Order: sequence, then C-alpha cells, then structure tokens
Amino acid sequence: MKRAKTLFRLISAGMLLLTLSGCSHSEAPNAEGTTQIMLAAYTVPKEAYQKEIIPAFQKQWKEKTGQTVTFKESYVGSGAQARAIVNGLEADVAALSLEGDIETIRKAGLITHNWKDRPYAGMITRSVVALGVKKGNPLGIREWQDLGKPGVTVLYPSPRTSGGAMWDINAIYGAGVKTAEIETGKKNPDKGAELLASIQKNVKVMDNSGRESMTTFEKGLGDVVVTYENELLLRNMEQPLYDVIYPKATVLIENPVALVDKNVEKHGNRAAVEAFVTFLQSQEAQRAFAKYGFRPVVPEVVAETKDKFPQPEWLFDIQYLGGWDTVFEQLYGPKGVWTEIVEGKKGA
Amino acid sequence: MWTVSKNADTPTTIADISGFALRGGVIGYLLLMVVIPLGGLLSQASLGGLAGFFTTLQSPAAVFAFKLTIALGLVTALINSAAGLVIAYGLVRYDLPGKRLLNALVDLPMAIPTAVIGMMLLGLYGLQGLFGRWLTEQKLAIIFDYPGILLALLVVTFPFSIRTVQPLLEAGCSQMEEAAKTLGAGRWHIFWYILLPMIRPGLFSGFTLTFSRAIAEFGAIVLVSGNIPLKTQVASVYIYGLVESSDITGAAVMSVCLLTLSLMMLLLQHRWAQKWGGIRR
Repeated sequence: MKRAKTLFRLISAGMLLLTLSGCSHSEAPNAEGTTQIMLAAYTVPKEAYQKEIIPAFQKQWKEKTGQTVTFKESYVGSGAQARAIVNGLEADVAALSLEGDIETIRKAGLITHNWKDRPYAGMITRSVVALGVKKGNPLGIREWQDLGKPGVTVLYPSPRTSGGAMWDINAIYGAGVKTAEIETGKKNPDKGAELLASIQKNVKVMDNSGRESMTTFEKGLGDVVVTYENELLLRNMEQPLYDVIYPKATVLIENPVALVDKNVEKHGNRAAVEAFVTFLQSQEAQRAFAKYGFRPVVPEVVAETKDKFPQPEWLFDIQYLGGWDTVFEQLYGPKGVWTEIVEGKKGA
Repeated sequence: MWTVSKNADTPTTIADISGFALRGGVIGYLLLMVVIPLGGLLSQASLGGLAGFFTTLQSPAAVFAFKLTIALGLVTALINSAAGLVIAYGLVRYDLPGKRLLNALVDLPMAIPTAVIGMMLLGLYGLQGLFGRWLTEQKLAIIFDYPGILLALLVVTFPFSIRTVQPLLEAGCSQMEEAAKTLGAGRWHIFWYILLPMIRPGLFSGFTLTFSRAIAEFGAIVLVSGNIPLKTQVASVYIYGLVESSDITGAAVMSVCLLTLSLMMLLLQHRWAQKWGGIRR
C-alpha cells in the first residue's frame, strides 16, 4: 500500500513539474530606482547595440531620471524572433529586419498602436544589397549580369529561412525590372525573372541566414556573396578583407523598430521603453549604427557619413516592387517567380 | 501476483495496487511523452484538410526532398548494416588491442551534438579542411553535395547496427561455428547457415533503426548540404524552411509523411522478426 502511494506521489510530482515548467513565470515587480527593458533584435546589429547604443542609453537615462535601466537581450534571425514574440517571448522592443516581421507581431494583437506613426515611418537603419568579392576583384565583377556568367559561383541564403535573402532576391529581380525601365521606359517583370534565373543557377549553397552565407564565403567557397552592405562593412572594419561592389540598380533596405504594447503593459515600463525607441533615432545612436556599417536615417548623420556610403545610381525601394504583400505573393508564393525558378518551371 | 483480481470477494493486495499504479504510470508517461505530442502534430497537419495535404505534397521541391531523403536513408542503412555486422563480429569474436576503448568509441556519435559532426566533416572535406585542396584539384565535390550528406548520415547512425547485432553474437556460441569448421564447412557456408540465422533479427532492427534515424537527421546535414531545392535539399532541412517561413501546416504534413514511413518500416520489421524466429523486440 505504502509503495503504491509513493509511486503515485512520484508520478503526480513528475506531472506537476512538467506542467509547471511549461508555464511562464511572470516578472517580479520592479524595485524602486530600477527598471528593465527586454530587447528582441535580429542578429546583424548585435555589436552596435551591445557595444555602443545600450550603454549610451543607460547613461542618459540614469542622468535624466536617476533610474538604473537593465537590459535583457535576444538576438536571432528576424523571422524566428517575430515568431518567438508571438509565442510568448516578452519583448518590450522588437528591432527586426523587415516590416513584414513587425506586422506578424501586430497581427497577433501584441502591437496596438500605429507603429509607423514615428519619424521615418518607424525605420531606424537603412542599407543596400551589395556584392562581396575577394580582395582585388579577380573576376572583375561589376554588375548583376556578371553573376549569371558560366563558372561564377554565387552565395546567398534561402528566402525560406532568411529575411536577408528576400532583400537579396528582391534586389536582383528589381534590378532587372529597373534596368528594363531605364532602357525602354517600361517596367518589365520578365527581365527581372530572367536575371534572377540566370543567377540562381549559379548559387551553390543556400544557407539559413545572411550570417551563415558570409561564413561560408569566408571559408573560401564561392566567388561572390550577395548580402547587406553592412555585413561586408562590418567584416572590413578591422582590415579590408573584401571588395564591396555596388551594382547600379539595387534595393534600399529599411529596418523597422516597434514597441510591443502588450508586453510593456505587463511590465509597466512604458516611459523607459518609449525613451529607448526614441533614442534609437537620436544622432548619437545613429552614429553608432553608421560606425557598424548601417546607413543612418537622420539627415544630419546622413550628411556626416556621405563618403562612407556610396549612392547607387538606380536605387529603388520595396514600394517600387509594389510593397511587401505583393512581393511575398509574386516572388515567394506557391506560384511566385523565385519559387518557379528553383522548381525548374522557369528556366534561364 | 501481478494480475487484476477478477473476484470481488478476494481482498485486493498490495501487489494488485502497485500493479495498477505501475501500469497507470507506464501508460500515462507514454501518453504524455509520445501520444499527445503526436496527436498535436496530426491535428496541426489536418488543419488544411485533405486539400492542404495535397498542396504541400504537390510542390516539386517537397516531392524531391522526400525522394532524396528516402534514397539516402536506404543507402545509409545498407552500408551501415554491412559495416556494423563486420565491426560487431570483430569486436565479439576477436581479441583486439584496446578492445574496451574501441567498444566505448562506437557509442560516441550518440553523445555529440550532430551539428558538431557536421562541423567535423567541414573541417575534413571543406575548402579549407584537411583534404579540401586535394579534393578541389581532383574536382571532387563532397561538401554541399550528396557524398557529404551521406557521410554525415553514416557517422550519425554508426552505432545502431553494431549495437543491435552485438548482443546476438555474444549470446550465440562460437562452438557452432567451430563444429561446422571441423565438419569441413567453408567460410561462406558457415556465414550463411549458422551466423546469419543467429543475427538476422538484429540485422533487421539495425537496418530499420538506421533508416529511421537517417531520414530524421537535421543538425549535421544542415551544415553540409547545399540546401538547393531539387538538387541537395533533404526533407528535414525542407521542413525547417517551412517552419521558418511560417508554413506550420506544411511542415506538419511533411513530418507526418516521414513518420508514417518510419512506422511502417518498424511494423514490417516486427513481422519479419516474428516470421523468421529469433528475438522479438
């Protein structure tokens, strides 16, 4: 009898433990004089946040209010981060790679204010899609067309797992459309598909993220890596390792930030979080971003860093391709251009 | 006295109750650990209904990933079954120097994260790896191509076939083989009529375990496969892509297909094992 009881107790204790571990524990209320902000960002700006922006904000907040603000940070791929927040990661601030990922959080009902109602439509950094080649550019890569030539090995990640890859592919497709427009006066989607197909067949590996593609390139595989300009500039910060090539036509990348209302309400730290989001567009933070290879959005800092960031002649933005919803559908949907190219339905 | 008392007059004993508790525990644990999560997966997969099933499986990339996975799984299982048999035989029948250490080494692939196995392969056959330069000169593509994936699978599933054959060899006596030898049977004869019947169940279960493990492998493959749809993309990496692009239903559908395949293999193996004697597992 006794043994059965013990066994029963053990089993119920085990079950109880399992259920408990599944529940999220709520935060302890903040002590007077301290507050905490949970930042969920994508991987690329990690250094900028950790080394410059967060310490600067902590100092400023302390001076202003006397309150010590501590940070909890999480850096994973943009899409994964959006999913994590939707599934209960209690982030106060979401700083992601693309608008679509912030929209995912909004559609889940966690962001209740109009997040685009900030200066620069809620964007804190910009970049362009550029090409990384080995020092001295041995193959003489200048333009997108060069990536489609036989024998050239190209790297970019898979758009199924990487927001960065979507920017890369948007740049290639859009460049075809834009070039056609410049030459003939009419946007031609077929030219975009053609260019994309010719390059896609030279892609040797599709890693899961922009970071991984860069790592594969550093290991010596591939002649050209298609990636964010800031990834390349970051690698070149210590010493120039790669040549950065700017094609004439490329896409302007814009990275958004948003305050996550539901979590802020739960934590009761709105004042500090609001201040932090605003601080991201201050000149100080913008300079830090620029130092790590991101293009600033604030005019004063844009003027200061003009020489660091060349302006591609035929730069276009996501609106040029009809906005994100259209692009998701037309390029990456089941009948999308990229989908059909990799499935061999649209040959080069 | 581990039976449930049928007669209401006999008092229930301690053994009865603990028997109940134990059964309850076993069933409850299985429910919690296996059945409920599987049910969740199935309900997730059926969200799109039959139409959802077909749209997922109509994508050429999905079909290809599936075929490639099964092919690689079968090749892995065949190679490792043969290799496992030889290694197990060597470990049981011969006295090798450092036999204990070798025996311990067999299980090692189980104890390292599979991503590390992928890293090791990159370190050997990658461009900057030990043999990288030589391979490039020979125009041999290993990493980011089929051989790389196969290598990863072989390493990850290495212990299974050895560990399923080994106990049967240990239990079987070597005297039968010796007796056959004195009666003039050739090596091949001995293998075919004495050794094989003895270890057949182990070979079968080793084969199915290896296959099931191979089609589910992700961590090592994701590093060494090129992930190019219709070329080098296997099912597990394809499923990861679906999850990452928020097609949870599609991912569940693919998973259910892989699961069904594995389950069928395991059931078949059980039937074979019963049919051809040996140990029922």
